[in-house]
Amino acid sequence: MLIAELPDFMDDIAFQGLIGLSMAMYLWLISAGLTIIFGVLRIINFAHGSLFMMGAYLAFTFYGQLGLPFWLAILLSLLGVGLLGLVMERGFLRRIYGIDEAYQLLLTFGFILILDDAVKIIWGGVFKIPAIPPFLDGAWRVFGRSFPVYNAFVIAVGVAVAVGLWALFEKTWWGRIVRATASDREMANAIGVNVPRVFSGVFVFGSMLAALGGALGTPVRVVAPGIGAAMIIQAFIITVIGGLGNLKGAFVASLIVGILSAYGTLFFPVFELFLIFAIMAVVLLLRPQGLFAR
Amino acid sequence: MADRSPRRLTALVGLLVLALFLLPWVVGRYSVYLAIQILILSVFSLGFNLLFGYTGLLSFGQAGFFGIGAYACAKILLAVPNLFLGLGGGVAAAGVAAVVLGFLSVRHTRIYFSMLTLAFGMMVFSIAWKWRDFTGGDDGLVGIPRAPLEIPGLWSLSVATQERYYYVVLVVSLLAIWAMYRLVHSPLGLTLQAIRDSESRAEFAGVPVRTYRLIAFTIAGLYAGLAGALLTPLENTVTPGIAHWSTSAEPVLATLLGGVHVFGGPIVGAFLFFMLKDIIVRFTQYWLIWLGAIVVALVMGFRGGVASIFARR
Amino acid sequence: MKKGVGILSVLFVLTLLLLPAGPAEAQCQLGVPVIKIGVQGAASGPHADYGRQIEMGATMAIEEINAAGGILGCKLEIKFMDDENKAATGVKNARYLVAEWGAHFMVGTDSSGVAMAMGPVLAELKRIHFFTHAATHRLTEELVAGKGIKEIVRVSVPVYQDAIVAALIFKDRPEIKRWATIGADYEYGYVTWNLFKETLRKYRPDAEFVAAVWAPFLTLDFSPHVSAVMAQKPDAILATPWAGEAVMLLRQALIQGVFDSQIQAWWQAMGGSVDVLEGIASEVQRDRFKGKLWATARYIHNWPDTPENKAFNERFRKRWARLPNYSAETTYSALFIIKAAVEKSRSLETPKVIEGLKGMQINNPGGLRVFRAEDQQFIYNVPAGRVVMDPKYPIPVLGDLKVFAAKDYYRHPPFTPVAATK
Repeated sequence: MLIAELPDFMDDIAFQGLIGLSMAMYLWLISAGLTIIFGVLRIINFAHGSLFMMGAYLAFTFYGQLGLPFWLAILLSLLGVGLLGLVMERGFLRRIYGIDEAYQLLLTFGFILILDDAVKIIWGGVFKIPAIPPFLDGAWRVFGRSFPVYNAFVIAVGVAVAVGLWALFEKTWWGRIVRATASDREMANAIGVNVPRVFSGVFVFGSMLAALGGALGTPVRVVAPGIGAAMIIQAFIITVIGGLGNLKGAFVASLIVGILSAYGTLFFPVFELFLIFAIMAVVLLLRPQGLFAR
Repeated sequence: MADRSPRRLTALVGLLVLALFLLPWVVGRYSVYLAIQILILSVFSLGFNLLFGYTGLLSFGQAGFFGIGAYACAKILLAVPNLFLGLGGGVAAAGVAAVVLGFLSVRHTRIYFSMLTLAFGMMVFSIAWKWRDFTGGDDGLVGIPRAPLEIPGLWSLSVATQERYYYVVLVVSLLAIWAMYRLVHSPLGLTLQAIRDSESRAEFAGVPVRTYRLIAFTIAGLYAGLAGALLTPLENTVTPGIAHWSTSAEPVLATLLGGVHVFGGPIVGAFLFFMLKDIIVRFTQYWLIWLGAIVVALVMGFRGGVASIFARR
Repeated sequence: MKKGVGILSVLFVLTLLLLPAGPAEAQCQLGVPVIKIGVQGAASGPHADYGRQIEMGATMAIEEINAAGGILGCKLEIKFMDDENKAATGVKNARYLVAEWGAHFMVGTDSSGVAMAMGPVLAELKRIHFFTHAATHRLTEELVAGKGIKEIVRVSVPVYQDAIVAALIFKDRPEIKRWATIGADYEYGYVTWNLFKETLRKYRPDAEFVAAVWAPFLTLDFSPHVSAVMAQKPDAILATPWAGEAVMLLRQALIQGVFDSQIQAWWQAMGGSVDVLEGIASEVQRDRFKGKLWATARYIHNWPDTPENKAFNERFRKRWARLPNYSAETTYSALFIIKAAVEKSRSLETPKVIEGLKGMQINNPGGLRVFRAEDQQFIYNVPAGRVVMDPKYPIPVLGDLKVFAAKDYYRHPPFTPVAATK
């Protein structure tokens, strides 16, 4: 009952892995934001996927409908979603920090409902998919096949973000403050850190990472209501496997899930989805701190 | 005061039950259909709230058991058109799954518990979605008969019409509600609340916390399975979407709407959920945004739900 | 005095309001205030354009019918509901439309999965649903011809178009032997591929089917599917994801160099649909598909080249500022079919209207539709062709048209089952 015959060449396997790597980058961008927010604020934002989706829609509007340069469209969409994140955190989440976590989850669930419908109301059904920016069009010969330049671009962005985040949190002043707040917020408060402001900043930052993931996909992936919900599930899985709050773990887990999905399409499409959730469940049961916890 | 309240409440409930029995004579077909859906969601939500309101565990995977109940009932009815078997089988299948998954889930609490239940629920969904040979895949199972209530060889009662089926659902739901009522007012119910309020104190008092959590989880799973099994003959169709986490959100929302800490909260919430949707949909197809706004408003200001508004005296 | 005038005016107005409705109602010979038509389609997600086109087609149809006096003097009213391409929603909407809203007839439905779920329920509700998009052959072969559910009528071409026409075209290409599919992961995708394979094997015993990958609804990224299929080095690809997903799939295929490779042809089943053509317009303009992209639809706006079709296009463009998609034409035609059937049977009752359909031949924008009672399908011709630019139209069209007479390639009873599995 194997649908796809086993390919003869290692080349095809390697190529599929590369495709998986580019898919993993979208997952990495959305998961990075989710895990950073959890690490510092101890909140799981269910609506994080909706922010990813908003990033895609905003980028589509700026780039596809208004014709702005691609980089500018991405920047504007980051700012737009960042603003949205600020409203969510300052206006709503902040007021219920002290209460049972369950209500925070429920609140963010309410946000999903609002944002998903808002997208339908504002953007409606039909839209033309924008062209790929010309300088990112085309393909390179890799492993005897044509690997799209755009996919390589996405990999580059993902890796750059990974390096950038590492540098940010290890080397910069703000990064140190965030880490301090994450590990012990009372202590951070005691030494003069403005904890509420750090919370807002981190939430906005994480939201913008999600938006980047969404915006990057605009020329090559489906932009439609419901993509937020589809992505958030995968982001949860990755964050759990990598360890809630563990950025390095999220990166590795994204690679695993992305590449596994690509191979899933090639080899074992029937089990792929089940497998991913099963891995998540196993990790939660046996090693809830994540596979990559120190 | 303490004397008259319970009696007044009992009288009120009695009137309500009577009204429910008379419903098909008074309202149209679609309203009866809605009433069945409300009853099903009530049963689903009551089970959920045993876990959430009384035991303090927020599960995002109840739709997994709902789905198992619905699919099991469907497979049974397609093979043997006997409603007793279909409903019983659905409940049993969901119960078994709940014991197994519950055993694994109750090792954790709070966020890890929630995410674990989410994962399990989605595992059930992915099986339903992908195992086309058994579950019909994305297209689901169709043409499921609204089978008769039958004791083979002895007695058979057709419930093919919607009115008759309504009475089946009504009787079963009332029994389920009554059973839950007795449960939460029993020592078991009190123990669960003690565990919710303080796990460590309950442990000190010698309560096997994990076992009690597992019991609550299993009962919630049984109720979800019953609700799912009741849905199948109504719609004559089962599709994977009923096991999806977005379906898990329905009892959560209903309970939140009606009141987490009141027994009747989930039932009131189920009613409100459908009423709200039905009303909003007449004006606009974008009803989710209003539902979302209501959820946000409730969480920000009325965490006790509608019941809490009335309880403030 | 003033008070008197005031009271008199109020009484006058009240009397006007309470008077029985004027001549309009008296003219309706069917004894109802209005004829209600329930309409369903996918109005959200990547397939949202189809629900909208269904609604646009239905709306324009009733506007024209009402302007010409309605059906036997009775006006029409439609109510559109989004079925989200989900079976549960479609069934629930159908119950609402019939039991609560009072629909006399229903039209629409995009998804084959939804259609299969609705079939048995229509028998329970005793209302005819005119299917204007959902394509699975099982709807008519199993539910109508097999189970005798006469409340199902199909107005649009079924998967015979997607699958059999493809086989008929490509059987004459000896250099194309190895076929692969990127299939929609539900009923429609499976039956199209199975029917295609079965038909092609009859003409080309040398045909090989080397790969099949499946993409469910809401696939975000088609890159692994394209890549997996290309690993098997096929000569041609048959693709069934539709609407917005088709556009993204083609986009991915382009950047992975599929159209510059050994691939000789890509059959995009519903690629002749207006939203897909709009989505790939710029790539077609730049000839990125190298003439290898083939498609069909359930109606294409530039065929047949009749005055009636041209006029329909004109009216549609004026009304909606867009070209009509096939689901718009099929739904529009369905409304006129309802009109003809009701006029013939002089009744709104389901069994009588079903009788009124028998032997019907009706001219629609898409050509002549002929009713076939054995499986209650309206048979008409739709061409297939290469996706090309035509200076007369703002979006790509199907050119190099191949037309096969539907009555020749349509399957007919007794039907042998074709599986709806992978």
